[in-house]
Amino acid sequence: MLEAYVQFALKAIAREATYRFEVFTSIASLAVRVYLLRVVWVALYAHNAAPQGVALHTIITYSTIALLMGLVLDIDQTRLLHDKLHDGSIVVDFMKPISVPLYFFSDGTGEVLFHAALIVPSLALAAFIVHIDIPSAAVLAAFALSFFLGYFVGFFLNFILNCIAFWTLEISAVQLIVTWVTDLLGGQIVPLVFFPAALQGAIFALPFAAMYSTPLLIYVGRIPPEGYASAMGLQALWIVILGAAAALIWRAGARRVIVQGG
Amino acid sequence: MPIIETRALRKTFRSVRRGEGLAGAIGALFSRTYDERVAVDDVTMAIGEGELVGYIGPNGAGKSTTIKMLTGILVPTSGTIEVAGIVPHEQRRRNAKNIGVVFGQRTQLYWDLPLRESFELLRSIYGIPRDRFRRNLDHFTEILALDEFMGTPVRQLSLGERMRGDFAAALLHDPRIVYLDEPTIGLDVVAKEAIRTFIAEMNRRGTTVILTTHDLADVERLCSRIVLIDNGTIIYDGSVERLRDEYGTHRTLIVHLTEPQPDFAVEGVEAESDDPLTVRLRFDRRSLTAEALIRRVTERYAITDVAINEPEIEDIVRRIYLEGYHQPPARST
Repeated sequence: MLEAYVQFALKAIAREATYRFEVFTSIASLAVRVYLLRVVWVALYAHNAAPQGVALHTIITYSTIALLMGLVLDIDQTRLLHDKLHDGSIVVDFMKPISVPLYFFSDGTGEVLFHAALIVPSLALAAFIVHIDIPSAAVLAAFALSFFLGYFVGFFLNFILNCIAFWTLEISAVQLIVTWVTDLLGGQIVPLVFFPAALQGAIFALPFAAMYSTPLLIYVGRIPPEGYASAMGLQALWIVILGAAAALIWRAGARRVIVQGG
Repeated sequence: MPIIETRALRKTFRSVRRGEGLAGAIGALFSRTYDERVAVDDVTMAIGEGELVGYIGPNGAGKSTTIKMLTGILVPTSGTIEVAGIVPHEQRRRNAKNIGVVFGQRTQLYWDLPLRESFELLRSIYGIPRDRFRRNLDHFTEILALDEFMGTPVRQLSLGERMRGDFAAALLHDPRIVYLDEPTIGLDVVAKEAIRTFIAEMNRRGTTVILTTHDLADVERLCSRIVLIDNGTIIYDGSVERLRDEYGTHRTLIVHLTEPQPDFAVEGVEAESDDPLTVRLRFDRRSLTAEALIRRVTERYAITDVAINEPEIEDIVRRIYLEGYHQPPARST
């Protein structure tokens, strides 16, 4: 039985690999964005002292790592769910002796693994364009773990969004808004420490911060080792909350599968 | 002990009622009124293991909804279902192991993958032992001639090829029951015949088959039993012969005349003409035998040839769709 889910992931990798052109364009566009962000931050820092004590090399490292994380976190790995609800082909999956949400999870994992492999060449390319600070192995390990937790927060967030298609069959508008909110309130574009102090408490408590901000602040050392437990504890809490919400919304949705033109 | 049993099965759908245009669409966001639509009203049937049943009815009659409830993906509003001892919507995955499904208008093959890899994936999904998988795949490859396109991605297959692939995919795990939803739609005559032969063969090997189709040639060729559904209710359940017997009361005698007869008429029979030398006489076989009718014609007219058209199941069903099924009058024997 497990074999089937491994196969789903492997097939997803094979499928993603067929879109080779997209791979090149995504790496190229990443290189351009790394360069542009460097130009912007250098210009912004030219006439200002380091705000919030964040040095220029730190902010450039932060932005570059954020863009690299985006290779994985920006992927809507459960898009397939929406597509299948939209064209009604989800009936076929429900007629198989499989757990349908696990199928989407496996397929999404395969898709993400493929894109995660692109981080290596992208990182090499980025290292030519900008200087990236490399922290100690212990910090890197904490970052990796936190990134891993952030991935699951993102997975459940995407899954919930795609489940909305059970009711509306169309989710692109909602999704667009959530992507903007994630990039902004998740700290991908600007570190959340730059936000007004009054807002920070609320923003850090949102699930979006658990995706980008927490691992990034660990990487650049703004979250010190003694803060790891609480930071990752909050991420884990979000995984539990969003996971439970995803399970509920899935159950409600699956009960009312409407097949268009079926 | 029937393998499929439903009692008073009913399914209603709720849909949002919308006003017209943009105002209506916006209005629907705020205050919602629902329309209730009854897709399946009252379906009670029992199907024995090994039967090949044609489940037919006009568009929107409730066929697909019934099939979806039998596969466990739709939960009935009321009524009961049991398929091979399992309540499908309560144990969807256990039920899925017993069934195979083919949709004419939808594929279960993986669009981007070569056909062979779709089969491999199905092997792990159903947990088919390797030797049995090998044996079944070899068998289907041979009788469905799949080897020419085994390595082709499914999106590049022709409809006929894809359907053959879909049939193999639905049967690899030796399901006891197979649901076929318009499996011959859009196929050319040769491909249709290949699929029909395959269906007959699979039924001979003991598989129970439920076939929904609009092509009544499929039904005539394959089914011993036919279940007719309209407006969510079963209006006929019985053999194809009985339907023809009870409902196809009218035969047509085609008469070829030696010379044109503008005022051709035979008492008690309606006549119509395609061309001056051919007359079609529609008669009720319960009140008139063909022999008697031919005698009446030849008494008055010189003819070169006659032919008798039996009622086509297609005509019978078309009339039922249009007029509704009512218990035909008792036969006068």
